[in-house]
Amino acid sequence: MRKRPVRTPIRSLVAVIMLFEMLAFLLVALHPERQETEALQALGLALCMPALCWFSTLILPKFLHADRLLMALMNFLCGVGVVILFSMVPDRGVRQAMFYALGLVAMAVCILLVRHVRSWRALCWLIIPAGLALLVLPLAFGSWQNGAKNWVSVPWLGSFQPSEVVKLMLVVVLAYFFSAHRTFLQMMPAIVFTGGCLLLLMLQRDLGTALMYYFTALILFYAASGNVPLTVLAMGGGAGAAVVGYNMFAHVKVRVAMWRNPWSDALGSGYQIIQALLAIGSGGLLGVGLGLGEPRVIPAYYTDFVFAVICEQFGIAFGVCVVAVYVLIMLRGLSLALRARRSFLALLALGCAALLGVQTFVIIGGVIKLIPLTGITMPFISYGGTSMVSCMGLMGFLQGISSRVREDLAKDIEMTGAREEAGVS
Amino acid sequence: MKELRRHIRLVGLCLMGLFGLWMLYFCYSTYFYGGRWFANPYNTRISSKKQSVIAGTITDAAGEVLAYTDAAGERHYAQDEATRRAVSHVVGDDGAKVANGVETFHAQYLLGFNSNVLERLADVIRGQQQRGDDIQLTISAELSRTIAEAFPEGRLGAVVVLNYRTGDVLAMVSKGDFDPENMDEALANEEAGALVNRATQGLYPPGSVFKIVTLASALSSMPGVEERTFLCTGQLAVDRSVVTDAGDAVHGEQTLVQAFSNSCNNVFASLALDLGYQTLGLTAQTMGFNDNFLFRDLVVYNSSYPIDDKSLDDLAWSGVGQGRVLVTPLHMAMIAGAVANDGQMMEPRLLKAVVTPQGQTRSRLSGSAVYAEAMTPQVAQIIADYMVTTVQGGTARQAAISGYRVGGKTGSAEASDDKTIDTHAWFAGFVQDDEHPLAVAVVVEFGGSGGSVAAPLARIALEKAISLGL
Repeated sequence: MRKRPVRTPIRSLVAVIMLFEMLAFLLVALHPERQETEALQALGLALCMPALCWFSTLILPKFLHADRLLMALMNFLCGVGVVILFSMVPDRGVRQAMFYALGLVAMAVCILLVRHVRSWRALCWLIIPAGLALLVLPLAFGSWQNGAKNWVSVPWLGSFQPSEVVKLMLVVVLAYFFSAHRTFLQMMPAIVFTGGCLLLLMLQRDLGTALMYYFTALILFYAASGNVPLTVLAMGGGAGAAVVGYNMFAHVKVRVAMWRNPWSDALGSGYQIIQALLAIGSGGLLGVGLGLGEPRVIPAYYTDFVFAVICEQFGIAFGVCVVAVYVLIMLRGLSLALRARRSFLALLALGCAALLGVQTFVIIGGVIKLIPLTGITMPFISYGGTSMVSCMGLMGFLQGISSRVREDLAKDIEMTGAREEAGVS
Repeated sequence: MKELRRHIRLVGLCLMGLFGLWMLYFCYSTYFYGGRWFANPYNTRISSKKQSVIAGTITDAAGEVLAYTDAAGERHYAQDEATRRAVSHVVGDDGAKVANGVETFHAQYLLGFNSNVLERLADVIRGQQQRGDDIQLTISAELSRTIAEAFPEGRLGAVVVLNYRTGDVLAMVSKGDFDPENMDEALANEEAGALVNRATQGLYPPGSVFKIVTLASALSSMPGVEERTFLCTGQLAVDRSVVTDAGDAVHGEQTLVQAFSNSCNNVFASLALDLGYQTLGLTAQTMGFNDNFLFRDLVVYNSSYPIDDKSLDDLAWSGVGQGRVLVTPLHMAMIAGAVANDGQMMEPRLLKAVVTPQGQTRSRLSGSAVYAEAMTPQVAQIIADYMVTTVQGGTARQAAISGYRVGGKTGSAEASDDKTIDTHAWFAGFVQDDEHPLAVAVVVEFGGSGGSVAAPLARIALEKAISLGL
C-alpha cells in the first residue's frame, strides 16, 4: 500500500528564500545612485539567483538523491552572500554568482564521487602527494599579500588559493585512514599528511587555515580512536605550537594584543576590528537596511569581515539567524555522521561538519573579538572562488553521504518488507 | 561503530558549546557595548549621517535650548557664552572632539538612527529631509551657570549635583571649559585639558572624602565601634611610613563621630589596618570601586581601589583616600547620595525625554534604576548623622544651609603636579530633604583645603538648586 507523500515544509522554505533574493536584488536595482548597467545586472540576478536556488533545492536532488534541507540552508547563505556583495561592489557580486554556479557543479561532482568511487585507497594515495604539491605552489610562485603567501595566480583561472582545495583532500584522507585502520601506526599516513600540510601552511604564514586544519584533524582523530591521552597530547602540541608561533611571528603578537585591547591602537593595528565593532554597533538590532550604512570603511569588508557588514545592514538579529543556519548545517552533518553505516562515511560527514563549524567559529569569533582575529573566509558568504568551490565541495560530500545513508535505509526496508511477505519475522 | 557514534556525539556537543558561547558573548557585548561602539569618535557614520539628517534639538530640564540646527543646516549652541561654557562637556560639540558628550553619545537619537521603518517611509513619502529626535536633558542650565560663576577663578575641577532619589544629573560642570561655537580656540588650548569632562573622566585621589567608605566598612563589620574612643597622637607609625594629619594637628582622645568630623587621619588609618585590605576592599567594591560602569545615559571612567595587599602602608593610606585610590567626582556624588538615600545608590541619568519630530515622547527606554545597594539603611543612617554633625560643627561648617539638613565630608587630597605637592579641595555631601533630595560632589584642583574652598561652593550649588525647586 502506498501512502501519499507527506507535504514537507521544504517548498515553503525555498519559496521564502527565493522571495528574499528577488526582493533584495530589486531593492538594490532601485537604488537611486545605481548605474543603468548595474541595475540591469541586478535585475538579471533577481531572476538567476532564485532560479538557481529552486533548481538546486527542488530539481537537482531528484537526480542526485541529495538532502533538500541541507541544500536549502546552503542556498540561503550563498544568496545572502551574493546580495551583500552586489550591494557593495556590483562587479564582485556578479562574479560571486558565477562562483556559486561553479560551486554547484563542484558539489555535484563531489556527490558523484561519494556515490561511485569504489577504491578510496587508491584515491587517497593519489591525493596525498597532489595535496602537498598544491600547498608548495604558493611558496614557489606566489607573492606576499597581507603578511601571508597563500595565493597563486594561474592563467585562465585568475588567482587561486590552494589551501582551500586541499581542505577537501584533507577531510577525505583523514576519514579514510582513520576508519580503515585502527592502530596508531596505520593511521600514520594521514597524520604525516596533516603534519606536512600544517608545516607548509605555517611557511605560508596562513595561520588561520592552519588552525582550521589542526582542529579538524584533532576532532577526527579523537572520534576515530577514542584515545584520550593521545588527543590531550596532540592538544598540548597544538598549544605549544601556538606559543612558539606567538613568540616567532610579530604579527601574531600584534593580533593577540589587538584582541585584548584594540582601542590601544585604534587607527593602526586595531583599526580592522574596531571598524567591525562600530559597524555592528551602528546596525543595531534590525540593521540600517540593505545598501545603506557605510560598510566600505571596514577593511576586507567583502571577505573576512562580511559578517560585520551583514550585521550593519540586516541587523544583529539577522546576524544571529545567519549563525543559526550554520549551526543547523553542522547539526545536519553530525546527524548524518550518526546515521551512516560505514565508519568511513561517518568520519567523512563528521569531518565536513567539523571543518565548516570550526571555520565559521574562527572567523565570526574573530570579528566580534571573542578570540584573536585570523584571516579566513566565512563559508558560502565571503567573496572568493576557491573558497566557494571548496565549501560547496564539502557540502557535496555531505549530500553524497546523505544519499548513501538513504539508499541503505531503503534497502533495509525492502529486505524487511520482502521477509515479511515471505512470512519470516 | 557504537563507540564511534558516542565520540561523534561528544564532539558535536563540544562544537555546539562553542557556538553557544559565541551567541552568549555576541548578545552580551552588543547589548552592553553596542551603543558605546556606535557613539565612538572613530565611527565615521555619524559625521556622514549629519549631511543628510537634520539633527535634533537639545534642551535642558526647563526647556532652555542648548543646541539646535538652523535653517542652513548649521549646528548652533545656546545663545550666551556663559551657558555654552557651563554645559559644554555635557552637551559636547559638533565635531566629536569632546568624548562622550550628548552630541556624540546620543547621536543615535539626534540623528534618527533609532527611527523605525514606518517613520523612515513616512519621511520618504512626504519628501522631507529626515529629522532626528529632540533630547531633553535632566540638567538645569541655570544651576550650571550659577556653579560655573561661583567656581574659583582660573582653577580647574568639577561639580556634580544629583537627585539621589532618581539618579537624575541636575548639573555637571567641568572646568576648564570651552565654547562650542569657537572650537578653533578650544583646540588651540587643548593641552590645558579644556575638552576633558572632569566630572566623569577626572580620576582624582579622594583624600578624606573616602573616609565615608572606611566608616561604612567599620560600622558594618566592627560591632560596637561607635562606642569606642580613639587616641590621636598626631602620628601613626605604620611599617615604613608615618600617617600624619593635615597641619600636623593632634586631636587627642575622641569618639568615632568626633574623629570623622575632625577628619582625623590617625584614627581612620588605624581603622583601615584593623579592617584589613579584604574587608575594606569589599566595602569599596559594593560602592562601585573597580566596577566597570556601563550606565545607559553617560560614560563614566571606572574608579579604582587597590585590592592586591601590597603593604600595610598602602592599606593605611588607602583608608584615608590616598595612595592608589582614584575616583571621579560623579562617583563621589553617587556615594554621598547613597548615604542620604538609605544606602541605595541610583544609576545616574542624563536623558529626561526623547521626543520625535512629530512631538511625541518616545517611551523612555527605562526609568530610574538602583545601581547598587551600597550599604544597609542602618549604616547609611549613622553615616548621614555623622556627615550632618560634620557640617554643623566639624570641617564642613561652610556648607551649612539654614533650615535644611545638610551633611557632608571635606577632603584635601594630596597630589603632585611634577613640581610641588599640593592638595585638591574636595567636598561630598547632600541635602536630606523629601522636597529636595540633592547630592553633590565638588573638586577644585590644587584648590587647597576642602573646608574653605570646596564646601562653600557646594553650599552655593545646593542653595541654588533648592531655590529652583529641584
